[in-house]
Amino acid sequence: MLLFRSEETVNDWCAAHKIPRRPLVSLEQLWQLAVHWYANRLTVESRRPAGDEMVSIFASIGLTGPFWDPQSDQWK
Amino acid sequence: MPDLDLDTKVKLAIYEITAETGRIPNASTVSDKIDISEAEVISAFGRLHTKRLLLPEPGDPTRIRMAPPFSGVATKFPVEANGKQYYAPCVWDAYGIAAALHSDAISRAIDAHTGEPLTLEVKNGAPILKSYVAHFAVPAAHWWDDLVFT
Repeated sequence: MLLFRSEETVNDWCAAHKIPRRPLVSLEQLWQLAVHWYANRLTVESRRPAGDEMVSIFASIGLTGPFWDPQSDQWK
Repeated sequence: MPDLDLDTKVKLAIYEITAETGRIPNASTVSDKIDISEAEVISAFGRLHTKRLLLPEPGDPTRIRMAPPFSGVATKFPVEANGKQYYAPCVWDAYGIAAALHSDAISRAIDAHTGEPLTLEVKNGAPILKSYVAHFAVPAAHWWDDLVFT
């Protein structure tokens, strides 16, 4: 998961590395993901979200579809 | 920590030491901190890997490559927080370190294509938003197939 100044430099990077262009995530969305995943990471009860929880978290910030589904077999 | 199971004790020790020092501890350091054998710690590392809470160093089960959001090796996502320097494995985890530590943080990162310096900052519990974007090259179903690449 890499950082880019703009969509243009993402496209240039994908072309240079022959990697398909995949979803872009804004910094606001990225921060929400970070809080969901890690805000309690230093506590006793911390754990990685389960698959269905991950789907809900992604959907809550507008990231939907099989790319964001950890159970998806579309990408084998 | 008398009421906690072994894996939870090891997990907490890893994160406490990392937060305090900026460096992910090895099995020996965790063993010293919670007074259990190094072999037990290494076994716990394996179980925590199964739970996707850490990634052991390939070829060396005594060391940890990643305990997300922290990296055990230097990366292109250094994060300054609480007067210490940490390393994040990826841009998501650069924010993740600020979220985990509940602190202000600055990550002096770069554009992955051009190398242009790009700074991420979290202040008073919120990011200072810019128009930068993160690109997720790997679908969620395969993030842990090769976590270093992801």
